[in-house]
Amino acid sequence: MKPAPFDYVAPTSVEEALEHLARGAGDANVLAGGQTLVPLLALRMATPSLLIDVNRIPELAGVSRVTGATRIGAATRQKAVLKDPTVAAQVPALTKALSFVGHPQTRARGTLGGSIALGEPAAESPATALALGAVVEARSTRGAREIQVEDFYLGPYTTTLEPDELIAAVRFPDWPASTVTVVHEVSRRPGDFALVGLVCALALDGGRVSRAGVGWFGMGPQPMRSRRAEQALVGLSASAADLAEIADMAVSETEPLDDAQADASYRRKVGGRIFQRLVGEALGVRRAA
Amino acid sequence: MNSPEMPPGMAARFVGQRVPRKEDARLLTGRGAYVDDIVLPGMLHAAFVRSQIARGRIRSIDLEAARSAPGVRAIYTAADLAKFDLQLHLMHGVVGPIVRPLADGRVAHVGEAIAIVIADDRYLAEDAANLVFVDCDAETPVVTMDQAADGPTVHSNLESNVAGGIQSPDDPELPAIFARAAHVVEGVIVHQRQAHSPMEGRGVVASRQGEGEMTIHLACQSPHMAALYFTQLFGERTDVHFRVLSKDVGGAFGLKVQPWREECAIIAAALLLGRPVKWIEDRLENLTSACQAREQRCKVRMAFDADARWLAAEVDFETNVGAFPNNPDIGALAMMMFPGPYRVAKVGFKTRAYYSNTVGQAAYRGPWMMESLARETMLDKAARQIGIDPIELRRRNLITAADQPHTLPTGLAVDRVTPRECLELLLEKLDLPAFRAEQAKARAEGRHLGLGVAVYVEPTTMHGFGGPLVSDSAHVRVEPSGKVSLVISTHSQGHGTQTTMAQVVADELGVPIADVAVLEDDSSRGGFGPGAGGSRQAVSGGGAAIRASKLLSQKIKRLAGHLLNANPQDITIADGLVRVAGVEEVTTTIKRIAQTAYYEPARLPPDAELGLEAQYRYQPPGTFVFSNAAHACVCELDAETGVVKILRWIASEDCGVMINPAIVEGQIAGGVAQAIGGVLMEQISYDAYGNPTAATFKDYLLPTAHDIPQLEYCHLVTPSASEGGFKGVGEGGAIIGPPTVVNAVADALSAFGAECLDLPLTPAKLLKLIDGA
Amino acid sequence: MSRHQVELTVNGGTITAEVEARRTLADFLRIDAGLTGVHIGCEHGVCGACTVIVDGDPVRSCLMLAVQAHGATVTTAEGLAAADGTLHPVQQAMREEYGLQCGFCTPGVVMTLAALTADGARPSEAELHEAVSGHLCRCTGYQGIQRVATRLARAPQGEGA
Repeated sequence: MKPAPFDYVAPTSVEEALEHLARGAGDANVLAGGQTLVPLLALRMATPSLLIDVNRIPELAGVSRVTGATRIGAATRQKAVLKDPTVAAQVPALTKALSFVGHPQTRARGTLGGSIALGEPAAESPATALALGAVVEARSTRGAREIQVEDFYLGPYTTTLEPDELIAAVRFPDWPASTVTVVHEVSRRPGDFALVGLVCALALDGGRVSRAGVGWFGMGPQPMRSRRAEQALVGLSASAADLAEIADMAVSETEPLDDAQADASYRRKVGGRIFQRLVGEALGVRRAA
Repeated sequence: MNSPEMPPGMAARFVGQRVPRKEDARLLTGRGAYVDDIVLPGMLHAAFVRSQIARGRIRSIDLEAARSAPGVRAIYTAADLAKFDLQLHLMHGVVGPIVRPLADGRVAHVGEAIAIVIADDRYLAEDAANLVFVDCDAETPVVTMDQAADGPTVHSNLESNVAGGIQSPDDPELPAIFARAAHVVEGVIVHQRQAHSPMEGRGVVASRQGEGEMTIHLACQSPHMAALYFTQLFGERTDVHFRVLSKDVGGAFGLKVQPWREECAIIAAALLLGRPVKWIEDRLENLTSACQAREQRCKVRMAFDADARWLAAEVDFETNVGAFPNNPDIGALAMMMFPGPYRVAKVGFKTRAYYSNTVGQAAYRGPWMMESLARETMLDKAARQIGIDPIELRRRNLITAADQPHTLPTGLAVDRVTPRECLELLLEKLDLPAFRAEQAKARAEGRHLGLGVAVYVEPTTMHGFGGPLVSDSAHVRVEPSGKVSLVISTHSQGHGTQTTMAQVVADELGVPIADVAVLEDDSSRGGFGPGAGGSRQAVSGGGAAIRASKLLSQKIKRLAGHLLNANPQDITIADGLVRVAGVEEVTTTIKRIAQTAYYEPARLPPDAELGLEAQYRYQPPGTFVFSNAAHACVCELDAETGVVKILRWIASEDCGVMINPAIVEGQIAGGVAQAIGGVLMEQISYDAYGNPTAATFKDYLLPTAHDIPQLEYCHLVTPSASEGGFKGVGEGGAIIGPPTVVNAVADALSAFGAECLDLPLTPAKLLKLIDGA
Repeated sequence: MSRHQVELTVNGGTITAEVEARRTLADFLRIDAGLTGVHIGCEHGVCGACTVIVDGDPVRSCLMLAVQAHGATVTTAEGLAAADGTLHPVQQAMREEYGLQCGFCTPGVVMTLAALTADGARPSEAELHEAVSGHLCRCTGYQGIQRVATRLARAPQGEGA
């Protein structure tokens, strides 16, 4: 399983990378961690003429704080994000999500930006970004723009990123310090893509939910978000919560597929159950007998 | 190396000890020699062009673009190989389709090799292979057993898609037994298709050594069997002497027993081209073109009396052997073994194997395992239906020492087995009452534990039916250096024979184990033997090693007696030192004896043969050597998700005298891991067009360290009648493992009134049953 | 198709070569550097047999291009043991625990554990068990591999296993 031939460049600045991308005319791939792209190259399912390696661009990697948000360079290794104390403090859902991603050997190379750009429907990072209301900073030779993650995913492995655009960073706006988070996945083996995965962030204000973010992975042709369920969660307190109905609502906003691992009805059922149980636990709801 | 319990001053004894493996230092430091590590001057690399459709006629093959691709040295199709008129035969088994190395006019499965592209490296070969355009008229394939039974024939020279089958003679008593039985239990057990998936795929380097010789480096299970195969295959038309080399092999499990189409095509290519050609199967090829396994369906009826004594069974067995099986299993041994270690009086059976437009079947670790899977799962089902504990049901029906020798109703005679004893030992270790209490407590908390138990006997070391499996050969010698060389027809793909055979020889001769080199990697050295397959090497190879070593020991002692002026019977050899019993000051070494034997003929007894060499070809007594075990598994079934986790596993086994308990346990654990994978997660399947749906490890799920607990063991030792008292154990975990898991899941599922005998037991399948209940 | 000059340190020695862009690090190490102890089991990053240490991290060398390793420090199983042949503590532990049978997955497992316990690092038992879950083995049922992971996690600081 050897890749087809391609040209390769390893620019050392974002500008240089953007120039290559612009000239690549849609037949270039960005090589970040390679954990997804290289297998596609090996299977000859991807046959770009040009590979633009972004691993030698210092400004593309690193975690920093900007006003009201945590900014993670697209080429930051998943391993680094997982261990980063700022992320742990400010975006704990992302830290939890990354603990499910692959294995140490893949996290040593895989990048957050690569994962966000791919938009694997059963992957943890895109769904987490979606649930938390993250923002993609995209750049091209034509300029820079910001894309809300909720507008970013169009379909299976399809994003609004233009062929000449590069993700420079992903920004995670702050949630209140009181926020509790749930990240859970059901998979066949640890490190596998999820059969069903849930990311839920609940900001609490005086014991009531003031803001909710509900994202799913493995529950549709792209990362999914349950907006109506989010609205239904707002205002809930632990004592008043009837999560069965909200769980149904949340699942109804997903579009799970049948595949070799599980069918859609399995995913809906399990999705509803883990939502009810784990969101309930996060809220401190006592389960009805 | 010595057991810490050995009294000081006593000679080292290796058989029975957990001796560290001699292979390990080499393999741990990356210095193994697998087939892809072989590099020869002028070597070229091959890639195959493979069929994209499951069935059809080849209209044309356009090679023009490929031929002019960079680095391409040759491209061959069936027409180029026709001069050799290669018709691949089966080492074991039925007459079937004509099998050529490459597709000839028609294709019969997706992935079938159509052309070989040979280039300067694999990258270039694949580039060129992607430029070959094959034009086919596609036809509707037969994919499943049921389609094959009624559908158009896969092979035009055959009348139907039935590859074979057997049936027991009509027995008018059987219907009567069922009619009056207090309990009749019925079930259908379906086992999915699997891929052997050794971590190293297939591979070959074929090199002409002048006109009349070919050296073949091959990932195989026996260099001798492979050399024999190529000689028989090519013999008439090429007059070439084949030498097969195979040092380290990265697992096989039956996939590498029989060289098959690609390997033979590469050899033909190398003969044509006159340069060494290497082909290394990549994982995509391995999962979609290498022979596959299992895919069986078994319908069982069992009759019991009012006391739950098993009276009779009727078994209907079907299997899908694909288009070009290299070891199609018509289920004969599975039917013969179906009664297992139970006192059932009558078993009637019928089997059918079908060809289809899918990848062909190869033997896979315990190919007859459906006998244990079907019997043990049905016994549990019977126990639930009758209302009796599955353990109690077994206790009432298992044979004991008093019943042996015991002849199964299917004709096989079983002796020296301890299934009942292993079961009792197992239950003691498990602490059954404690488990049942734990299970009840867990259920009250909404957690579902399940216990599965299974018992079986295993026909190891098959050798009594004639053919290549009859014997193994060992040649052992003391070199002039004083070191010992054993050239033997065993072959390891992880079995550890480099260590176990050295343990045997070291004990017999009385030399340090570090001084014994085991050589089994070259068909031009030593005598013919079948190598690995059928759980035989300890028995057959070990027996040959013992007998050859005994002969050599006699020579050493005779010579030593002559040189030391002592009676040979008073000579003792320990740790390489040669002594006269009772005469402490008289010693010499094996090395000095050897040098005299080779260099100083005048000092030898007049009629003595020079040198220190001996050879023995050993056939174990009887037909099979039976080993046995009882396994237990505790699982947890998550009712929220249908996911099963294996929490605990106990193997209570009797494989006779163990040469190396650590290696025995390793074999059991490896088989158990394959069983867990096979029951819970592995699946090869095809869509309606015959396209494989699991082409990478992302889809074909193998168990990981997360899925396998630390196994616990009980060992009984009932020596066999063969030399050394050894029995086979390699396949056992993969035979008894599956029903153990299925029974554990069934126990957990029983709380929901559900059952599932349709493998694999995926979370989605189980959740449907849990919620449907 | 572009070709590139690469220079990297492998097992303590410098290797300089010209490589095609598409040449994987695994193939470079096996074929160009002659380090056949790097094994290829799947070429799509699942089995872990090809794992080597790159700049301190265990990585799947089939998922890196050789050109990406320019300037890197790489260690393979051939480079772990001491010059006098003394096995690395991970190798020694694997031997004592019967962690291998056919040996094909073994170098990858060894490199993962060696990387994660280098320089006195002592990951938890859970972390090391997670790490070895990233390797496929068809022979051993992971018994010895799991025991080695446990031993390494429990070894006193500064010692091997």
